[in-house]
Amino acid sequence: MSAPTTATPPGGVGEVVHDAPARGRILPRPVTGQEVVLVVVIAALWLVLGLATPAFFTSGSIIPLLVSMSPIALIGVGMTIVIITGGIDVSVGSIVMVSAVVTAQALVDHGLSLPVAVLLSVLVGGVLGLVNGVLIAYGRVQAIIITFGTLNLFKFVGLQFFGSSTVEGIPATFAFFGRGEAGRTLGIPHSFLIMLVVATAAWFYLRHTAGGRHFYAIGGDAVAARLAGVAVRRRSLIAYVLTGLLSGLAACFVIAQGTTSLAASVGSGTELAVIAAVVIGGTSITGGRGSVLGTVLGALLVQTVTTGVTQLGWQSQLSDLFVGLFIVVAVGADLVRQRSRRTS
Amino acid sequence: MTTATVPDPTGTPPARTTGDERPSLASRLLRLVLTQRIALLVVLLVAVVITMTTLSQNNYLSAPYSPSYMSATLINLVPLVLLGLAELLVITSGRGGIDLSVGAIVSLTGMVFGFAYGQWGWSLLAALALAVAFGALCGALNGVLVAYVGFPALITTLATYYAFRSLALVINDQQPISTKPVQDLYSTAAAVQLPFLPESFPRVPLGIFTFLVPTVVVVWLVLARTTWGRRLYAVGTNDVAAEWTGIDVRRTRFSAYVAAGAISGLVAVVTVAQFASARPDAGVSGTGMALPAITIAVLGGVAITGGIGRVAGVVLAALLVVWLNAGILLAVPGNAGTQLQLFALGAVLVFAALLNGITNRRYGGTQ
Repeated sequence: MSAPTTATPPGGVGEVVHDAPARGRILPRPVTGQEVVLVVVIAALWLVLGLATPAFFTSGSIIPLLVSMSPIALIGVGMTIVIITGGIDVSVGSIVMVSAVVTAQALVDHGLSLPVAVLLSVLVGGVLGLVNGVLIAYGRVQAIIITFGTLNLFKFVGLQFFGSSTVEGIPATFAFFGRGEAGRTLGIPHSFLIMLVVATAAWFYLRHTAGGRHFYAIGGDAVAARLAGVAVRRRSLIAYVLTGLLSGLAACFVIAQGTTSLAASVGSGTELAVIAAVVIGGTSITGGRGSVLGTVLGALLVQTVTTGVTQLGWQSQLSDLFVGLFIVVAVGADLVRQRSRRTS
Repeated sequence: MTTATVPDPTGTPPARTTGDERPSLASRLLRLVLTQRIALLVVLLVAVVITMTTLSQNNYLSAPYSPSYMSATLINLVPLVLLGLAELLVITSGRGGIDLSVGAIVSLTGMVFGFAYGQWGWSLLAALALAVAFGALCGALNGVLVAYVGFPALITTLATYYAFRSLALVINDQQPISTKPVQDLYSTAAAVQLPFLPESFPRVPLGIFTFLVPTVVVVWLVLARTTWGRRLYAVGTNDVAAEWTGIDVRRTRFSAYVAAGAISGLVAVVTVAQFASARPDAGVSGTGMALPAITIAVLGGVAITGGIGRVAGVVLAALLVVWLNAGILLAVPGNAGTQLQLFALGAVLVFAALLNGITNRRYGGTQ
């Protein structure tokens, strides 16, 4: 049995890297096994859906899919960084809600231009992310507890803007991010493109800059990271602020996807969808490992399942069951890999 | 009087004594309130009741904050305390233990109970047993994945939250079950006059005696008076040490999740009776039931890192939240009041977490 050669993927040079990870390659591979599996799963799902429902491969089906996954993937980029540091942020749904209602109200009242409105939304998200970050990094409390609390607090703030009704008559300023003709260039939705740009930048930042690697160091061992000179508190603060900023940007996409009115339920449940996407993408919930690419694929998978269930004519609530199953399978695969790495 | 319960005042930072006993008493009281979560909760509870009663007597509230009103709102205490105890068991079991799926278990078990009692014509006792068993089964799924397979609890229960919530909605085409037997259950949620007490004593919701008190007593007995309870604390404090002392860590942790599921099954029956209908979204609508339950547990002094947590803390924390919410509803009527409850819940949770942090650094933890 020639175990070393069978264990390596085709490509030859992989074997050397596999045997001597410390010398040849400090960074993990650009594309992890989980991501390859995800691509295969998504491709298989698309193929099945394409055969089962002929309408699936039309632009009327693919473009809404890409547009709806963009906010989830965008917040997922921030959430990936937060989870890599060993934290979590369950308040993103409320951040989206506050950003969306403040921006929508400002659009209705003052007729802001597109850049100003985006800036406002992103800033509101950033401020709320800062609240989370300060409490978690400097209050030294568990992230999940604090963000559960701020989930309620932010929701309260958002509801104050809503009054007791919906925001009506939102102008079409955000059509640039929408599903319609104005939201596309060469047939590709702008929101999807923006998400890709942000994700690529984050991928490079996390992988190839010292600052990005610090997030992994914190998640691996916060004490060791601090002793090695990483500004642990400032880094975790940055992670939550980034998540807030991206949630603010995602709020613009959410407004653009909706009608001219905005209901108080906007954003609720987003946090679970985002965490699901991040985990399915192979990021370890215990911190220290993960990639933005996986998160984007995870979001695509979740959205594919949601779209697929609807298109097959099943009850739409059934998609949650599949999302749950995918989470279990993804975490299980991660565990198996972890164990095999430890024993080898 | 209260100072007598301070175990050891020698650890207090030396305050500037002016010959008087005052400063040391004050710092000892501060220490008591910070380290004894139950003392803090009692202080807060008294503060809330006094504030609300004062507001009520000066006619600031839309209805009197009277003993009978306070007693009537106790009906909200039942699910809150039970789920708080479920979270207590799971969080105490350690290694990031948490259960996000309790609300979804309540929804799904409520539907199963609705089928058994409302459509298949089972007797109440059999249907109740089925609900508890089914809840335990849901909890067992969490337990197997967390304790035996080694999944992180947060993610496992997030996944099962999705799965159970989805099944609860799909199982009956999103329709609630409200047949005659289920509607008649509402009588069990009614308020009753206590025997042996004067007529003027406020009526107390029946659920307090049928569900709340038995569960609280059982959980307290199990945690404080059985080896299983001591094992659970041992596992939560340090599972490696527990393993070396011969405790079956996996089985102990597994049973904590099963117990949490069984309690959620009980809550499902309570909720069905309260709504007079088995609603598929009973436990997940709005912010859901898991979030308030975790809030109650943390406010009640359960350490999220595991190994620390007391039944009395959870009960007092739930009572505090229920009476605070009841007062808010009277002070700020309508929609604004409901919104303010969100604020109160969030603020109380952040406050409790920050306080836990300060206490840990200054005194080395709550008890």
